[in-house]
Amino acid sequence: MKAFTTMAYRQIKRFFRAKSRVIGMFVNPLIWLIFFGLGWSKVFNFPMASALFGGVDYLSFLAPGITAMTIFNASFIAGISVIWDKQFGFLKEILVAPASRKEAITGRMVGDSTMAVIQGLINLLLTFTIANSLKFSGVLPMILIGFLLAIAFSSFGVSLALRMTSMEGFQMIMSFLMLPLMFLSGAFYPVETMPTWMQYLAYINPLTYAVDAARHVLINAPATTATASMPGMPTVSLTRFSLPTDIGVLGILALVFLVVAMISFERATIE
Amino acid sequence: MEYAITANNLVKKYGDFTAVRGVSFKVKKGEIFAFLGPNGAGKTTTIHMLVTLLKPTSGNATVAGYDIIKESHEVRKKIGIVFQDPSLDRELTAYENMYIHGKIYGLTGDKLKKRIMEMLRFVELEEFKDRQVKFFSGGMQRRLEIARALIHEPEILFLDEPTIGLDPQTRAHIWEYIKRMKEEHEMTIFLTTHYMDEAEQLADRIAIIDHGKIIAEGTSEELKKLVGNDVIYIRIANGKEGIKCLKADFIRGCKVLPDGRVRLEVMNAAEALPKLFELAQQNDIKILEVTYHRPTLNDVFLYLTGRELREESAGRFDMARIAVKRRYMK
Repeated sequence: MKAFTTMAYRQIKRFFRAKSRVIGMFVNPLIWLIFFGLGWSKVFNFPMASALFGGVDYLSFLAPGITAMTIFNASFIAGISVIWDKQFGFLKEILVAPASRKEAITGRMVGDSTMAVIQGLINLLLTFTIANSLKFSGVLPMILIGFLLAIAFSSFGVSLALRMTSMEGFQMIMSFLMLPLMFLSGAFYPVETMPTWMQYLAYINPLTYAVDAARHVLINAPATTATASMPGMPTVSLTRFSLPTDIGVLGILALVFLVVAMISFERATIE
Repeated sequence: MEYAITANNLVKKYGDFTAVRGVSFKVKKGEIFAFLGPNGAGKTTTIHMLVTLLKPTSGNATVAGYDIIKESHEVRKKIGIVFQDPSLDRELTAYENMYIHGKIYGLTGDKLKKRIMEMLRFVELEEFKDRQVKFFSGGMQRRLEIARALIHEPEILFLDEPTIGLDPQTRAHIWEYIKRMKEEHEMTIFLTTHYMDEAEQLADRIAIIDHGKIIAEGTSEELKKLVGNDVIYIRIANGKEGIKCLKADFIRGCKVLPDGRVRLEVMNAAEALPKLFELAQQNDIKILEVTYHRPTLNDVFLYLTGRELREESAGRFDMARIAVKRRYMK
């Protein structure tokens, strides 16, 4: 356990040392929620609009998605610290240590994931002040969902970073993947109303399941399903999959990516 | 005799390029053994193989009695290493860097704390323990790396170019630490360097390495005897075509250097000089300038390879590279 706990400790310690990251942790998701969320919520302010968003107001619909997105961003970007460690040589120090590499890398990802989930939680608690259909009882299950999501993407990020040498390269791949994954997750608009081809892409997007699960646990589902009364207006359900399906998919992904990261680190040498 | 390290025909190839071409040597317990050679000679690659970071293409080695390939985990427990390039976590403090290292090597609680303070005191960084490493000078970082490598009381310490890019005062400091480690803890130390004075000051035995091969090995006295007892340099006035080697019984070796000087190896310069002038007169050679000195390791390298160690080492470029690395993001 020594390598596991030590590396988790180190990642968390490092996080708080970087002031810009600590500030970014509060600011970035708020920008989405306030400018994007409040902006659109005024557009969807007409009486029947809630039918489009599973019976809740737009901000409540958006909030769980933003929380999931925050955790996704934070955990994915953590992979970049592996490249950082390569460049500053700290990686050699770990590679030459008489400790289990599997433990060391898992500890690292658990440390990063913990910070990612904490960022998501801070964001979520702020969200409670502006979205009115959220329930506090969903916070605990959301931590579990967020953790699975964070492990999946920090492992993915780390596996990717271990194969790369430049930060620019990693950042390029990240920005290339991040926006599509976010737009295809159903965080901003329902998957149900997407064009069919886009829906298929949404189904293979891990983030979709995290957003779906977040809505399951965080939103106070309205007692009666709203029905559309305007001609041509669709009725959209709040969630797309069952909660066990969501958690199952996330759990399997987290496990698979974790194993990939472990194997990649086990094989890592210095160039 | 028990050996701390035995290397048997180690080879490392990268595609077509062979970085290390069959290196064999033995390091006795408790001695300081130095790999001396220019940059690109294969020193760092050899160290990386010995500390289990690189797999040899062929050949094998044991470190502290364990096979570096089959028992790499055991080897890792027994060694400490200071890499050529910095390897600290710059965001963390000196103490935190030490703490993380100690934890990973299995130390805990009061024992760990005691060891950390002891080692920080050893390298005189105690008062800077809570300062982030990114604010450390190159020399301080180096000292911290040495302290860190010692926390878990390794049997064998590997130092890859321990004083590269450091100022003379810091270098002398670090030499002092290295000597004390050997004397006070009977530690076996394997170091690589391209500084002759470093090898000469510290090492009990030296292996001279060039182009991935060991070309000579022994104590610095033994190596210098390869050249002879004294070395004489003369500059001749006879124009380019006139410059040639002189032959006589008392001249053990002779070479025309690229800068036009002629280098002569003799047993005793004081006795040889009068004979040399006589010889020059007989051959109608006009000597403009004479210098002589006891052979240095540079003369040994020159004798063995025909090139100078100093010029080959690209020292200035390399120092700049390391200095930049150490100051990056400062």
